[in-house]
Amino acid sequence: MQLQIVSNKQVSKDTYLIKIDNPEVFDAYPGQFVMVRVNNYNYPLLRRPFSIYNLSNTIDLLYRKVGEGTSMLSLKKPGDSIDILGPLGNGFKIKSDKKLILIGGGIGIAPLCFLKKKIDERKMNCETYFGFNSKDEICVDYGNIATIDGSFGYKGNVVDMAIDKIEENSLIYACGPTIMLKKLALLCHEKKCNMEVSLESRMACGMGVCLGCAVETKNGMSLVCSDGPVFDYKDILWEKM
Amino acid sequence: MGKNVNLTCKVANLIFKNPVLTASGTFGYGVEYEKHLDLNKLGGFVVKGLSIKERSGNNPPRIVETPCGMLNAIGLQNIGVDRFLKEKLPKIAKFNTHIIANIYGTQIDEFLELAEKLNNAERISAIEVNVSCPNVRVGGMLFGKDPNMVFKLTSAIKKVSDKPIIIKLTPNVSDIVSIAKAAESAGADAVSLINTIAGMVIDVKSKKPVLFNKIGGLSGPAIYPVGVKMVYEVYHAVKIPVIGVGGIYSADIALQYMIAGAMLVEVGTANFVQPNITIEIIKGMEEYAKREGISNISDIIGSCCK
Repeated sequence: MQLQIVSNKQVSKDTYLIKIDNPEVFDAYPGQFVMVRVNNYNYPLLRRPFSIYNLSNTIDLLYRKVGEGTSMLSLKKPGDSIDILGPLGNGFKIKSDKKLILIGGGIGIAPLCFLKKKIDERKMNCETYFGFNSKDEICVDYGNIATIDGSFGYKGNVVDMAIDKIEENSLIYACGPTIMLKKLALLCHEKKCNMEVSLESRMACGMGVCLGCAVETKNGMSLVCSDGPVFDYKDILWEKM
Repeated sequence: MGKNVNLTCKVANLIFKNPVLTASGTFGYGVEYEKHLDLNKLGGFVVKGLSIKERSGNNPPRIVETPCGMLNAIGLQNIGVDRFLKEKLPKIAKFNTHIIANIYGTQIDEFLELAEKLNNAERISAIEVNVSCPNVRVGGMLFGKDPNMVFKLTSAIKKVSDKPIIIKLTPNVSDIVSIAKAAESAGADAVSLINTIAGMVIDVKSKKPVLFNKIGGLSGPAIYPVGVKMVYEVYHAVKIPVIGVGGIYSADIALQYMIAGAMLVEVGTANFVQPNITIEIIKGMEEYAKREGISNISDIIGSCCK
């Protein structure tokens, strides 16, 4: 559907927050995503998948300028219209009997920020750990922050920062680079705790048709778009990632 | 204006309410699109390629975007013909449109077994035979590159099937006309072309192909002039209907295919970008016909050459 852009601003190094007018019909769960058509021409051809960062009277997406599609998106102005397909996929499941820990790396914090809001609305507690490469990439104003170069907060990767807080009764919600998720998967296995991970993949349709976003799981090939993007970490064949 | 346009087209014994179908591999088993468009409005749809046994497909990465196109190496992931007939077909049988099954085998016997199984499925209007997938290691394109193999395979399938048989051709050959003629002389009811164009994208940092399969099939708007040219050539060489496929994303491109000689068109990659694009294309065709004073859309087929 064609929707109007309310604002589109840079919030940290190469990171932008776009707010899109939300018609009343639009509702979504944390972890779900939308497919954005950057423009109505054939270049770039495919829609881009973005996790929902926040949802109110606007649909908010946090994105990193990494290629031509996101570069074009970053030039969009308030009042411009944009074509959105969604919400798509399966989101995180909030469970009350666990110690909830949110761990995000880089732009992977986007769906976790939406999850945090929903957890807060339910008056439940959670801990948040967000990792970035350096201070200039930080695009969140709460949580425990780690930077690889030590320019802000904990020096090192976010998994090492959170390691002592993870217990058997923890439920981790994670999104971020594959290397971070693999490390977490190993940790969860050792600590016998649970984790829901939101995976990223190249995809063309976002609705289970192109079969481009396949990921190898215990149950064979699964699709990030329609079986995920949120998976139980135990289902993923991490050695194949 | 105001006069109704006749969009119907006939292939073999089948009447299509309009010339717009969806291409195999871009429309799932049909059910996935139910909430995005009224499937009853389509001329027909071609389901994802079916094999005898379920196939898990290639390892990821399977797709990469290219300028105005995409390269894919899915590897014919599908649920297998038996599950299709049991689980999917009943869900799409209610739609008043032609359902075409696309089949893929690694050897002739497999194609025959597939054709036999589908022969009893009343709602399957026709069978499209994939002799042209670039992404599987056995069979696939090997059949489609050799006129003798296409002849042998087509004749064999015609013997076991009562359904109209459409042979889907690959553009990755030196002479597509000779392959189309082989299909025609073996009794094919129609040919559809083109399947994807083989291609490769390399990551310069790792110096490795982006796709796990290394090679993939290029589709999308970038390839349509190749398809239009091949349809034009084949239309002149055979008497059976030609179905145009490749890069169709608007009524204009669909009409180009028809003017080049296509009786029907299949919309592929564009379904990923805009799920209801086929409906827009049908509308656009109708508007074109009204604007140009054409009462039967089939009148434009091959008109480029007149």
